[in-house]
Amino acid sequence: MTISRRAAIVRAIVVKDLREFSRDRLWMVLTPLMLVFYVGILWLLPNTVDESIKVGVYARGLTGSFAEAFDSDAVSADAALEVVPFESPEALETAVVEGGEVEIDGQKHAVDIGISFPDELAASLAAGESATVTIYVDASVPAEVQTAMDAFVREATYAMAGVDLPVTQPEQELIVVGEDRVGAQITPQDRLTPLIAVMVLLVESMALAGLVAVEIQSRTAKAVVASPASVGDLLSAKGLTGTILAFTQAGLVLLLVGAFGHEPLLLLLALLIGSVMTAGFGMLAGSAGRDFMTTIFISMVFIIPMAVPAISALFPGAASAWVQVLPTYGFIETIVGVTAYGEGWADSAGYLLMSTVGCVIIFAAGWFILRRRVETL
Amino acid sequence: MPEPTNAANGAAISAEDLRFSYGDHEAVKGISFDIAPGEIFGFLGPNGAGKTTTIKMLTGQLRPKAGVVRILGRNVGRDDAEAQARIGVCFEEKNLYDAMSGTENLRFFASLYGVDGVDTDALLERVGLADRAGDRVGSYSKGMRQRLMVARSILHQPMVLFLDEPTDGLDPVSSKAIRGLIREEAERGAAVLLTTHDMWEADELSHRVAFINEGQIYAIDTPENLKLQHGQRSVKVRRREESGVAEESYALDDPAVGEQLRAAVQSEGLMTIHTEESTLENIFVEMTGRTLEA
Repeated sequence: MTISRRAAIVRAIVVKDLREFSRDRLWMVLTPLMLVFYVGILWLLPNTVDESIKVGVYARGLTGSFAEAFDSDAVSADAALEVVPFESPEALETAVVEGGEVEIDGQKHAVDIGISFPDELAASLAAGESATVTIYVDASVPAEVQTAMDAFVREATYAMAGVDLPVTQPEQELIVVGEDRVGAQITPQDRLTPLIAVMVLLVESMALAGLVAVEIQSRTAKAVVASPASVGDLLSAKGLTGTILAFTQAGLVLLLVGAFGHEPLLLLLALLIGSVMTAGFGMLAGSAGRDFMTTIFISMVFIIPMAVPAISALFPGAASAWVQVLPTYGFIETIVGVTAYGEGWADSAGYLLMSTVGCVIIFAAGWFILRRRVETL
Repeated sequence: MPEPTNAANGAAISAEDLRFSYGDHEAVKGISFDIAPGEIFGFLGPNGAGKTTTIKMLTGQLRPKAGVVRILGRNVGRDDAEAQARIGVCFEEKNLYDAMSGTENLRFFASLYGVDGVDTDALLERVGLADRAGDRVGSYSKGMRQRLMVARSILHQPMVLFLDEPTDGLDPVSSKAIRGLIREEAERGAAVLLTTHDMWEADELSHRVAFINEGQIYAIDTPENLKLQHGQRSVKVRRREESGVAEESYALDDPAVGEQLRAAVQSEGLMTIHTEESTLENIFVEMTGRTLEA
């Protein structure tokens, strides 16, 4: 049989599969619904990160360099710590505790932390008396920032009292373990994009699993392979159908959220690899499924662990070793690298290789199991 | 009924010493037969006799553990696609695509066979489904699905047809139509291997029949020869008597049958006289010790 004849057979089976898919009411409702839901979620999430913390300061009692330091004009608006000077401790307390905006010099400010230095601070320190500095902290401020503020106030008052800290600091060299993401934090939208992409792919594996399960249970696969179509033709068509379904929808979602702005070809290649992998999952689940419920259940057994690398990408830091060996890890890291950090081909080559290996293993497993299933019908 | 061609010359289907085992269970134990072009060959046996396994080997779905299958002179194991392009199969299970219409089902399989321009309307007309051509198969009755299965098996005008219980679930009118269609296919020159539990149908349609049981063929011959060789020819006479209706049976091979029949005809109260011959089912039971429904 010629290659063109084989291609025509595979094409006929793919067209038939897509026709069956288009007539499945469940998927016809679920697919657009999911697309709208995913895109809506991504659009609703902010695509910027506000990295600065606004600190309100009442510092009338301060003098010298510290007073200058707390002058708002001396602090860049782009800095991580933005200082807002207050005219009274009561106004500062109200601003932090009640969380409202305060108008200062014609500008509205909402502050997360307030530091109120008492008016007599300088005099008290000069006299060697103790003084109380009040720190107001909003509940949403992370504990480590609260601790840092506390340490800052202590250090400042030590300095104002003319007491040196009992340590000497060498000339500092900032060492960042891992990649320095200062100023390049991932936006919530970018964090969620890989999870959405992988969920679209994995859910589409359920659609393929359903098509495969129906073909097996109704034994139409037996009729197909009794024709000039070989088992290989049938499996190729199933793999192609699953890839088309997953690739089209995941690509559409990423297109709608504007993820193709940077390295679109790299992103498309990663999606293609992920789509072939999910086709493998679909073939595995479809081979084992006996009805709709068992097919969904078996699909979920694959989907949940395979989504873990995407969930891991939501949180900063390196993923656990066991997460890194999951077949979807390389694919997700490629998506994260491209969409969130603007990485290119060279940066993503390792992850692409990992995802390709995972893809080959999963697809081969799906092919082998489904082949056995069709041959024993 | 057309005369079968000589199976020994240019057999359309040829099975030589076919064997197959499922683990330790030997399902087919070296069976051989030939089916000529234009011949309808009844393959009869109870469930588990090895019919389906044999058909799977003949259609290339299973590779025989031993033996050779030739379809139209081609070795099925070596040239599956080429051989399968000339085979039509009507499975016992109704394996159709429920979400697609009858027409779409036929067109899909036509594309697999590489047949362009199949007149699906005419084909559906032949099996009495023209008015439901556009409806989804999921809405078809069992009989309609069966008729569509038959239509699917012949859409590419195969020279070899495997029909597994083709009239199962059909009403008498539909069954008659399908039997007519099978005869037409044989007259076109197709070799037909027919499995059925309906012994009357096998007798009516088949040029030859094979009895298979426990993986072995017990007999291959024309139904007439089998009945002549293994059945008992007799005449049944029914007479009305004072006590009711009496029945008597006279063996035609008995030398005294002439006298007995003359006496019966001249007797009072004669109601009916029927010749009787053994059925294929009776012969099967006699030869294998099993019924076909087992």
